[in-house]
Amino acid sequence: MNLRIIGAFISKDLSLFFRNRFFASMTVLGIIVYIAIYFVMPKQVDETLQIGLYTQATLPFFEQVQEEGLTLQAVDSEEALKEGVVEGEYVAGVVLPADILESFMSGQKPRISVYFASDAPPEIKESVESIIRELAFLQAGQVLPIEVTEEILGPDMLGKQIPPRDRMRPLFAVLLLIVETMGLANLLSQEVERGTIRAVLVTPMSVIDLFAAKGAVGVGLAFIQSVLFIAVVGGMNTQPLIILVALLLGAVLVTGIGFLIAALGKDMMSVMAWGIMIFVLLSIPSFGVAFPGTVTDWIKAVPSYYLVDTIHRAANFGSGWGDIWYNLLILLGFDIAFFWIGIIVLRRKFR
Amino acid sequence: MPGDAIVAEELTYRYGELVAVDHISFNVAEGEILGFLGPNGAGKTTTVKMLTGQLKPKEGKAVLLGMDVGSNVEKVQGQIGVCFEETNLYEQMSAAENLKLFARLFGIKGFDANVLLKRVDLAGRENDRVEGYSKGMKQRLMVARSLVNRPRVLFLDEPTAGLDPASAEAIRGIILEERERGATVFLTTHDILEADKLSDRVAFMNQGKIVALDTPHNLKQQYGKRALKAKVATSSGGLEDREVIMDTPQTPEAVNELFTREKVVTIHSEEASLEDIFIEITGRGLQG
Repeated sequence: MNLRIIGAFISKDLSLFFRNRFFASMTVLGIIVYIAIYFVMPKQVDETLQIGLYTQATLPFFEQVQEEGLTLQAVDSEEALKEGVVEGEYVAGVVLPADILESFMSGQKPRISVYFASDAPPEIKESVESIIRELAFLQAGQVLPIEVTEEILGPDMLGKQIPPRDRMRPLFAVLLLIVETMGLANLLSQEVERGTIRAVLVTPMSVIDLFAAKGAVGVGLAFIQSVLFIAVVGGMNTQPLIILVALLLGAVLVTGIGFLIAALGKDMMSVMAWGIMIFVLLSIPSFGVAFPGTVTDWIKAVPSYYLVDTIHRAANFGSGWGDIWYNLLILLGFDIAFFWIGIIVLRRKFR
Repeated sequence: MPGDAIVAEELTYRYGELVAVDHISFNVAEGEILGFLGPNGAGKTTTVKMLTGQLKPKEGKAVLLGMDVGSNVEKVQGQIGVCFEETNLYEQMSAAENLKLFARLFGIKGFDANVLLKRVDLAGRENDRVEGYSKGMKQRLMVARSLVNRPRVLFLDEPTAGLDPASAEAIRGIILEERERGATVFLTTHDILEADKLSDRVAFMNQGKIVALDTPHNLKQQYGKRALKAKVATSSGGLEDREVIMDTPQTPEAVNELFTREKVVTIHSEEASLEDIFIEITGRGLQG
């Protein structure tokens, strides 16, 4: 590897990148717009409590506990109730046993199960218990002994409810990374299609120098932008080192994907077409964080999931290395795979 | 006695089943201009790619300036200049920026782009983006780029294709200047007259093989025929063509007969062109 040659090529690529008005505008506007959107989004959480209730017993009075800021929603099965909690439809789900009335009558302690969403606030726990007791009181006309068992669905983040705009941070970071991918892919596909890559490869510049320079430009642009964004929106306040490592791995991932897009595309339009398809795919895990319950487990097959999940948990819940090391490890694996495949495919194209 | 700048030994390249270059061997002396001629698909570009380290030969080897290209690619590439047939410049950059980039890739310090740009008549346009240049200007810039590192071996692929006569002549002048400087020139061209005029030797390539390699003069001597072409007046007042093949035992008698029996209006001698010779050897034209 020749650092002088790599430096010369990086300088050329940066110059060309910012001469492309579209990508230069996207780079600058991207940061400004996402930061602006972040700050105009509500920083307060919705305090309305939506609680799911499943019971086979007939409880004529349960509607009476509906009050301001509290909604009780009857569901058809315990499974549906759990699903609703996992998907964020309810902050808690209550299961009343079918023989609850008989238990009350015979003086036994009925066992009531409560499911909580992983990020439900701690007040929910107390509120839900009060509601259950109120239900029991309405039913029996007196205070009755009950046994409440709690179960957290998903990772236990009880009490760590986060505002919507903070949920959006990983999405914006991923979007910024992907836009840079398209810029890099466009630069590369132009080099291949216009034959400039052949011209530079008959100088002392080696293929390794070429990919090192392209990789450095791609990783550098994507990393700097995403770090800038996350820092401005307060995502570095907790676990900054983890966030930096995750964003760096994310930047490497999108650069490898950029190599692939460049190999597939022939001009700016085809790069955009391929890029948007991949853009949508990589964004999906972020929507899972921003809008809990909108996606299922298959998103774990999307490489960006491990980036999004790491940023979300580290920035929003302060998760440490011990909690998310495997996310970073999987992300590193995807990085190596995509970078390697990208180089192979692209190299075949300009050979 | 200059040594060999380029030595090809049994160079072979296959694209799958197709043999593009088939065990070719030749050498080019330092300071020599070799015209490399052949129709499209003959294997010229593949040969140049192997000589310049862009492709690894499937068999045989290429030696440039005493270095095996396969094991010294970067060293070899530091000593050569390549001008491609297709325009492959950074079009969003200016001419000066293009040359300076390549000077940095070659590690040249204190490079002055204006000297080269003046040489290819682009002075005054050095800061304009290349995308606004005419084809001729781009081609001249391509030639300038191939000279950035003062190469010891210069590979030129159709350097004057599509140029106006004045620009083409200017490029030919530069090629001769480079030879004067001591550079070896490997000139791939379809322009027969250009090859004839510039080349010390020419190589004919056909279907992956070199079918002839010699000086233009020797090739003409060996394969070509000289002739006298005459126009004679007919009894009806028209003109007819007559041809007398030279350098045969019957030539003196045929010439004598022409002048005594016919009324010669015009007469001139004609030498075989390199294309005639290529057709003679391969049975096909160079433009195919």
